[in-house]
Amino acid sequence: MRGRLDELRGPVPPRAHDARAIAALAANPGCARRAVLDAAGVDKDLTARHVGFPAPFGQSQFAITRGNVFEALVKENGCAELLRLLRELLGLPIAQVGYQDVESVGSHLRHSHTRALIDRAAREGDDAAVFYDHPLLSLRIAGQTSYLEPDVVAFQVGGRFHIVEIKSFAVIDGQAEPEKVAAAARQAAVYVLALRALLADLGHDPERVSHDVVLVCPENFANRPVATLVDVRRQLAVLRRQLDRMTRVDHLVEELPPGITFDLAPDSEGTPTRPAREVAGALRQVPARYAPDCLSTCDMCMFCRDEARCGGSTDQLGRQVRDQLGGVLGVDEALALAEGAAEPAEGQEEIAQLLRLAHRLREECLG
Amino acid sequence: MDALERRIADLRAEVRRAVKAREHSLARSLRGELRRMEHEWDRAVGAEELPAPEPEAPLLPIREQVHQALALLGVPAAPKLIVAVNDAFFSRALRGSQFTSLRRDEERSFRSDPYARPYYLCSALTDRLSPARGLLAVSTWAPELRVLGPLSPRVDFLTSAVRVAEHLARLPEPPPGAVRLLTRMAQNIPGAAEGFAPADPVTAIRAARAELEVHRAADAAQRAEVAARAGRLLPDVERLFGAAALGALRGAAC
Ligand code: SF4
Repeated sequence: MRGRLDELRGPVPPRAHDARAIAALAANPGCARRAVLDAAGVDKDLTARHVGFPAPFGQSQFAITRGNVFEALVKENGCAELLRLLRELLGLPIAQVGYQDVESVGSHLRHSHTRALIDRAAREGDDAAVFYDHPLLSLRIAGQTSYLEPDVVAFQVGGRFHIVEIKSFAVIDGQAEPEKVAAAARQAAVYVLALRALLADLGHDPERVSHDVVLVCPENFANRPVATLVDVRRQLAVLRRQLDRMTRVDHLVEELPPGITFDLAPDSEGTPTRPAREVAGALRQVPARYAPDCLSTCDMCMFCRDEARCGGSTDQLGRQVRDQLGGVLGVDEALALAEGAAEPAEGQEEIAQLLRLAHRLREECLG
Repeated sequence: MDALERRIADLRAEVRRAVKAREHSLARSLRGELRRMEHEWDRAVGAEELPAPEPEAPLLPIREQVHQALALLGVPAAPKLIVAVNDAFFSRALRGSQFTSLRRDEERSFRSDPYARPYYLCSALTDRLSPARGLLAVSTWAPELRVLGPLSPRVDFLTSAVRVAEHLARLPEPPPGAVRLLTRMAQNIPGAAEGFAPADPVTAIRAARAELEVHRAADAAQRAEVAARAGRLLPDVERLFGAAALGALRGAAC
């Protein structure tokens, strides 16, 4: 299997995944294209650019600065703001204020130091610190070790570890944008998983890592932080299933035509030399499942969106719509049903009725 | 130059956006950045024609301004707090960027001529005897004050809040900036402030001391242990500026 995956990738080292990439796995569990590319460790960013569909991300400098400023504010003065929040939110006792900056050992020792500190905390309990700042965790994924940097790990709240995720999107009157919260939850779930793996590895009970993560955001556009608990059990379950699936991509790979590869044939400078058309052709052989969510999570999104649009697939309308349009083949058919230009086939009566109603309402509004 | 102009235009747009969205502190920091860029631009324009003018010497050298703020706080502090104290009590506009080479210059000066100056701005040491990231201390302080245990960041925060409040209480006309600084600190100390109202120094002191009582003994014991270890293992210069990465492994606790 390994050999087949190496073939798919070509003669370059496999890409390790960062937390965002791992979280994205959980965002679109049904996509075979992504599963295969990730399992093979293909550089999706480079591939997408080579085939002429670079991903539109890269946060703006403005957003990055804003994020850093907010994170610094939450952590300044020995995590004074965070301490207030955890005291309010989780009833952290006054005496529990310990703070350890894992990064003070120098970056090359951060991972082993994180291990040592977490081990000591799990063994000794009471005397351990509460905040571990700049920890470095790791997770094995499809034979690759990925290093992950949660914002803060908090300990001692009822003898349990909590992942703290600091995000600079605003909470307004107790509400934040659901997609942003969902993305934060997926990312935090990756950290929970990694910390649980570490505890298990050290011989401790992995369940001591809480499935409730602490999400810290600025409130009402002022920079004052607020915290909420987010239950990430569902995200954890999806993630586990996905990771499991990655180690069992065998059947997906077996279904691929023989000889297919995503090799970019890079020259000595790393610049791809394989004709883009060939690479795109290879990509199209693996079925994708495009959804608008891909736009914020997957490097291949512009490529897949283009494909979904050209193919008139209902996938491009989002998962919810796609599922409601189950049994309708594409956008053209849906429009035909709505306008009454096509007769519903068997099993399509209900959706056809809905589409016609929607069509009529729209006409009435616009007319 | 072109890049600078583009950046300035972007920043202006961002400031407008932030003001419209009523993100005041963001707007403030963006404006600061904008001013810096405009300054850069002025300099760059000038450099193309005229020789750069001598930068105006501040009335008090940076290191003395930092020293004054640290003396007021009495504990190791991060540049951000030092800037805030300078701004609030001495109406001086220090900038975070002015700190970057400060500690290195002090270390160099100490190495070439130890103890020639009455004081040095130095590091606070972690329990692994490495320099704590982003904290400054004063060499004349007791060794226990210049090292950190796990509780020290909280203890030092509470102590600095007490010191700010005490200083404020002594002033006949408390500067509004200083009241704001204390209020911000007090909001993170149980019982020290009521909601968003300006903090009362006496209440803040009482509340901060009450929490300090909880941590003091344990913190003092941990700090004494680290200070003793530093005294035993490190040469003078490292006792002030921290052990280099490898040296920090010696005698480390874990
Ligand atoms: S962008 Fe394409 S490859 Fe990526 S998850 Fe979406 S459909 Fe799959």
